[in-house]
Parts: sequence; C-alpha cells; structure tokens
Amino acid sequence: MEPILIILWVVVGGLLASLGAHLLPVGGAPAAMGTATGIATGTVQIMLGAAMTGLFTAASAATFTDSLLLVALSGAIGATVMICVVMLMANILYTFGCGIVPVSGRVDVDPLTKEPQAPYKTPQTDGHGVPNCVYVSGMLGGFVGGFGGALMYFALLNYADFTAGTAAIGSLSIFVPNAIIAAYNIRGTIEGFHDPKFKRLPFAMVTSLVVSLLCGILVVIASYLTVGGTM
Amino acid sequence: MGLIVVLLFAWMLVIAFLAFLACTFEDLESDIGSQSNPNSQVQLAAQIGQVNRFFNKAISGEPLSNAMYCATAGTIAWLLLLKLEPLVPGEEWKAAVLAIPIGVAVAAAINIIFSMTAHCGRTAAQKRFEQPIYLDVLYGHLLPIATHAFMTTFFITCIAYIQCNLGTLSGNPALNHPFALPLLGFIWGITVGAIGSSTGDVHYGAEREFQDRPFGEGKRVVYHGKITRYADCGVRTQKDIAGFCAKFGGPITGMTFGLIILFENWRSLVGMQLGGYLPNLSASAGNSSVTWAIVMGLIIVITLAVVNYVFVRWVRKKCGPFVGV
Repeated sequence: MEPILIILWVVVGGLLASLGAHLLPVGGAPAAMGTATGIATGTVQIMLGAAMTGLFTAASAATFTDSLLLVALSGAIGATVMICVVMLMANILYTFGCGIVPVSGRVDVDPLTKEPQAPYKTPQTDGHGVPNCVYVSGMLGGFVGGFGGALMYFALLNYADFTAGTAAIGSLSIFVPNAIIAAYNIRGTIEGFHDPKFKRLPFAMVTSLVVSLLCGILVVIASYLTVGGTM
Repeated sequence: MGLIVVLLFAWMLVIAFLAFLACTFEDLESDIGSQSNPNSQVQLAAQIGQVNRFFNKAISGEPLSNAMYCATAGTIAWLLLLKLEPLVPGEEWKAAVLAIPIGVAVAAAINIIFSMTAHCGRTAAQKRFEQPIYLDVLYGHLLPIATHAFMTTFFITCIAYIQCNLGTLSGNPALNHPFALPLLGFIWGITVGAIGSSTGDVHYGAEREFQDRPFGEGKRVVYHGKITRYADCGVRTQKDIAGFCAKFGGPITGMTFGLIILFENWRSLVGMQLGGYLPNLSASAGNSSVTWAIVMGLIIVITLAVVNYVFVRWVRKKCGPFVGV
C-alpha cells in the first residue's frame, strides 16, 4: 500500500478523464437530428463507453504485465479504437442514411485540413456529422480519457491492493464524477479543441483536482481499512 | 488439454458476431421505445400541438439502462451457475444453457416494468397538451420492446460468459478474464448502450422522425417537434419505425459494436501471439505481448483516421456545397 502513489495517480487519472471529456465531440440530442456536430449522445455516456472498453483491455493486460505505462497505454488505445470506430460509422450513417455531409458549425475553415465548412452547412443548424478536425479531437479525447481510466485502475489494483473487480468499480466511480464535471462545463455540445467552449477547461480542471483528491484520500482510507487485500 | 490458440481466435470471432447481433437489437429496441436522444422530439411534439401515437419511454440514457439489464441478467445467471455447475461436473455448459436465459428473462421483465411506467408517466404528464395515453399503443409495443431487449441482454450475457471462461474453453483457465460475469455484463451494457445511442439513433432521429422534410440536410431548428406522424398507410406508430431502421441504422450500429469487439480482442490476441506469450503463457513475454498489442492498436487507429479522412473528402466532393434555401 503506497498512499502517495495512490493519491497521485488517482488525481492524474481524474484530471485526464476531465480533459478527455472536453476533447470528445459531444453533439448531444441535437446531433441525433443532424442539428449539431459531433457524436449524438451525452458527454458522460460516450466517455464512459470509451473508458469501459479501454478498461476491459487494460484489465486483461494487467494480468500479465506489471508496467504502469503499458497498462495505461492499453486502456488508452482501447478507448481510442472505440471512439474512432463510432465516429467513422456515425459518418457513414449520416451520409448514406440521411444524406448529410460532415461539417463543423463552430469554425468556417477546418483548422487541420483547411477545408471550407460554412458553404456545406445547412442553415439554422450548428453543423452535422464528424468532420476531420472533430475526428482528430475525438481521437485525442478517447486516448486521454482511456489513459486516465486505466491509470486509476492500475493504482487501485496494485498500490491499494484491491481485487480486479473492486478496482474496476472504484476507478469507474472516480471516472464518472470527473466526466460529469466536464459535462456541466460543456453545457450541452462541444466540437473539440477548436470549439470556443474549450477555453472553459481550467474551471473544470480545478474542480476535478478537488474531487479526485478527495477520491484518492477515500481510496487510501478504504485500503487501510481492508489491510490484507481482501477488498 | 493444453491451450489451443486456434480455439482462442475462434471464440473471439464468435464474440464479435454476438456483439454485432447485440447492438443491432439494442438500436432497434431504443427505436421502438423512442428512448435516448430523438425522444426529445417525441416529447416536444405534444407540447407544440402535434398529438401523436409514438411510444415514449425515456427510462434513462441507453448506456445506463442497458448496464442495468445486463448486470441484472449477469448477476442472476452467475448465482444460478454457482448453484448448478456442481450438479453437472465435467459438463458445465449444461448449467449455462439454463442459467443465462433465466437471468435474461428476469432482465426483460424489468424492462417491461420500466417501459410501462416510463411511457405512462411521461404521457400522463402531457395531459395539459391533450396528448392521450393510447392503450393499444401501450399494449402493442411492450412485447416488441421486451423481445428486442431480451435479445440484446442475451447476447451480452453470452459474450460475458464466454469472456470470463475464455481460457477454460480454450484449454488453459489462466486466460480467463479477471472480471466476474456481472461486471463484464455491466461493462458491455454501458458500451452497447453508448454505441446504440451515439450511432443508431441518427437514422431514427435525423431521417425517420422527419421523413416529410427534405432529404440531404441537417434537420433545422424550426422543424424540431414537428415529427412525421403519418405512415405509408394510416397513423404511424413505433412498430413502423423498427422495420425502417432495421434496414440500415440497426445493422450499421451492430457493425460498430462488432468491429470494436473484434479489433479489441484481435489486437490483444495477435499481440500475445507475436510477443511469444501464447501458447505457454510464459511470464517473461508479458511486456512484449502488451507492447505488440498497443502497436497493433495504433495501426488500427491510424488506419481508421485515414479512412475517415478519405471518406469525408469523398462525400464533400460527391455532394458539394449546400444548395437549398
């Protein structure tokens, strides 16, 4: 049991979870009607889906490696694969199912590919689909969020001596409030790093720091109470 | 019996196929019940005077409701397995054949209860907008919803069962997943819901709910709430919607989850093979196996990004700028 390491990795994991949720292109309910750019669901829902996929792979990796970096990277790649497939298939569905072209509603020119956006946008909408800059931001969000989730899982598993199941539920329980903080900060929809709402990130990071610190202390207390690794 | 690597890969493909079916049915279930994001339009319709015969069950976000069904089914199946497996030593699969459907049936029953209370509660709250509770709509949709939910939960529980017994089924119990059956059900319940919500709902929300609006454009804010209430023959209900979405939205959603499961498991197994971890599970090869799996994952991610880039460019060139008014 290493209290400092537990608190450190839980705080880092929580901050990364919050950062990842800000980077994901969340379209919410309007995106389901093609009225907003991004993935057509809520911040917490898509972040959880990605992090859970990463956690599944990270848990497998943790059974045959002791390296923190490798386990965290396994989780990060798992979450990135999930989010990448979702964004690509969403684009296919928008295009062939609804005849909608992927376009950003927040910028007139794609900051990465320099493709024009405004001429392709339907009037009275806030963009639709997952254009390239949004896709890249989503990839980064999945990677960062998955890394954070797997980091917390590793800390709870190896430093707090939780069993695999308890470590998974514990890391999930710390992950969710951090994603919810991001959802509050985003207030509905966000396209990614190029969205003006992304500038609100520092507020969420401060809140995440406090919440994750509290969670880390609780994990240390829980592991003290169950000395012997039976939890 | 030693570990048979081919069996590992075969089970992985079975899991991917089950995942495809699970997410297809999950999307159709949410479309029949009008759960998740497009439900905002069904909710709004009555408020702007569009009385409709849509089923309105927004129990919660799809990931959470599916996690609840799958974790319930997984827990009951797991408890039954603990009791039944000692009765059939050497033939544990017989216990699974009984335990999994019973667990899933209980989850489907819970789904019916939630669907009924959610629909009645939401529609009753719209009394001031003169939206009636049509009893034939209520009775007629409960069984299709429960049947689709049964299929989803059944496939997810089967995936969880295979994964937590993957090593045993392939010849070496050391390769079983460390998570218990209910936890795996919970994880895949969250993921299947997240994908069903984020991918499949687009076909229902952006196309089927607004089918009398122009095709080929995002649905404008002024259309919101003015959903299509009449079908090819008579008044539309959600049963018509399931048939429509089963032709494209459902299978695409299923393919999304199937591909994710396939990529995740495939890269892990190929990593183990390349790193020398299989078939003897040598502890010294652990790090190299994970490293290979990460490299394979990176290749998959980059490939997907390139495919998306090419696809977006192609679509924009093919369709051109917006020409409507």
